[in-house]
Amino acid sequence: MTAEVLPAPVAAPVAAPAIELAGAARWYGNVVAVNDVSFSLGAGVTGLLGPNGAGKTTLLHMLAGFLAPSAGTVRVLGRSPHRDPSVYRQIGLVPERESVYSFLTGFEYVRYNGRLQGLANADSAARVAIARVGLEDAADRPIGTYSKGMRQRAKVAGALVHEPQVLLLDEPFNGMDPRQRLAMMDLLGEMANAGRTILFSSHILEEVERIGTEILVMVAGRLAASGDFRAIRALMTDRPHTVTIHSSDDRKLATTLMADSAVFAVELQPNGLSVRTAHLSAFRRIVATSCQAAQVRLLEVLPADESLESVFDYLVRR
Amino acid sequence: MPAPVSVLPEIVRITFRQLLGRRRTLLLLLLAALPVLLAVIFRLAGQVDVKEYSTGVFDTVSLTIVLPLTAVLFGTGAFGAENDEGTILYLLAKPIPRWIIVASKALAAVLLAVSLTVASVVLGGLVELFPAGPDGVAATEAQVVAMVVGSICYVALFVPLSLFTRRALVIGIGYMLVWEGALSFMLPGIANLSIRQYAIGASTAIYRLPLEETRLPADTAFVLSAILVVVAMAIATWRLRRFELSGGSD
Repeated sequence: MTAEVLPAPVAAPVAAPAIELAGAARWYGNVVAVNDVSFSLGAGVTGLLGPNGAGKTTLLHMLAGFLAPSAGTVRVLGRSPHRDPSVYRQIGLVPERESVYSFLTGFEYVRYNGRLQGLANADSAARVAIARVGLEDAADRPIGTYSKGMRQRAKVAGALVHEPQVLLLDEPFNGMDPRQRLAMMDLLGEMANAGRTILFSSHILEEVERIGTEILVMVAGRLAASGDFRAIRALMTDRPHTVTIHSSDDRKLATTLMADSAVFAVELQPNGLSVRTAHLSAFRRIVATSCQAAQVRLLEVLPADESLESVFDYLVRR
Repeated sequence: MPAPVSVLPEIVRITFRQLLGRRRTLLLLLLAALPVLLAVIFRLAGQVDVKEYSTGVFDTVSLTIVLPLTAVLFGTGAFGAENDEGTILYLLAKPIPRWIIVASKALAAVLLAVSLTVASVVLGGLVELFPAGPDGVAATEAQVVAMVVGSICYVALFVPLSLFTRRALVIGIGYMLVWEGALSFMLPGIANLSIRQYAIGASTAIYRLPLEETRLPADTAFVLSAILVVVAMAIATWRLRRFELSGGSD
């Protein structure tokens, strides 16, 4: 009745990246979910950003071995995760779906994960993991009674109970309140400092700010940008913005605005002025002074393209 | 290197809780109580007759309805519950050989199906057959063998089916009605491919129940059952190794 768990994979050479994709693609019939993505990651936290439907989950599922790449290669710790269950010794996975064994208590769930990982001391490992996500008080309650944020934390505890080298998290901050979010970010940061490779997905830019120094941006299945968060963030802030302004005399205001170098273009439209500018913060000051100079009354200022999708779109077009 | 652990009982235990927590299990309990209720009625009517009870209750109710339905529900539910609730990822993202996962799931379903079907025929036998003397006791034992062999074979068939389609339960019930219920009666030639006949054949190792159709000798029934189990488990393992999450562009 006893069964041995597969032996641990041979450790990859130190220099080898923990995660490596080369020309990886995945399609479902005619639908391309991930298209020719290449990158490699070593120790540290990396945020996988992109709007909904960008292919983030497909990418994470390929890394977790639940989808074979239709083309290219996907390697985790030098091994192909698809059809090689022994690699799970070194992978922790937090799927996006909220599904959990609702009849188990948090502690039972984490211990179950530990036992299936073959841990000899699953009880104590489960207690440690539960403490790391700050779920001690609720550990003996059935998961069915947990809030969304608590479930997320239970899932994370279950994924790190065996101290994996690589942690893959799909939208881990969903449902967490700001305090829990900060605590989780700090935990991921600590794990990264301990030499682990952590890749998490998010469609919310601000979530990355605190921990993800490195980010990958996916749009429509392709890798749109990758690199340091601050550089990409600056790129996003300094991109041309379109603002719609409505005033008591749009034509007069247009003339004044065009005199400023921060303004690229002004278009007179039936519902106001459409103004393109490079620096949003500078532009806010210009609008006020221009109105004063032109002696017009400012009625309305609307940013036209502030959605996350437009930010990502901009990155793709660059 | 962590010490070897017994992951099989862990998965069996979780599967028990998943299967027993479903509302349909309650229906199965009521269904399994039906032969016992009929035995009580037979007994109260003063009729203690091995032949009458074997054809009227064991064949018509236990063998044709209770056994296949119980095994279909538990067999398809073993992976079905994980699939429906989306928890299968937690199970598969573990360094466990896939055959152990298949064996654990099948074992859990078999244990539940055997417990329920055997309890049903034993209680019915105690009420109705034991008073008939040694023949009645032997008939009850033969029914137990039929339930055990039948449960194992049906579960073995439906566990892999549930890995190929989400409609395994509907297909299983269709199979039960069309193949086992109608065709195997009409076409004696398919006895080699009928789990119902494996169960009946195996029971003749203990006692030949007075049923209308007993088409396989016990040894053939055991060999065919063993082949079915091995092939079905191999297919399920093959399928689980190639497991892929379905659909979704994100």
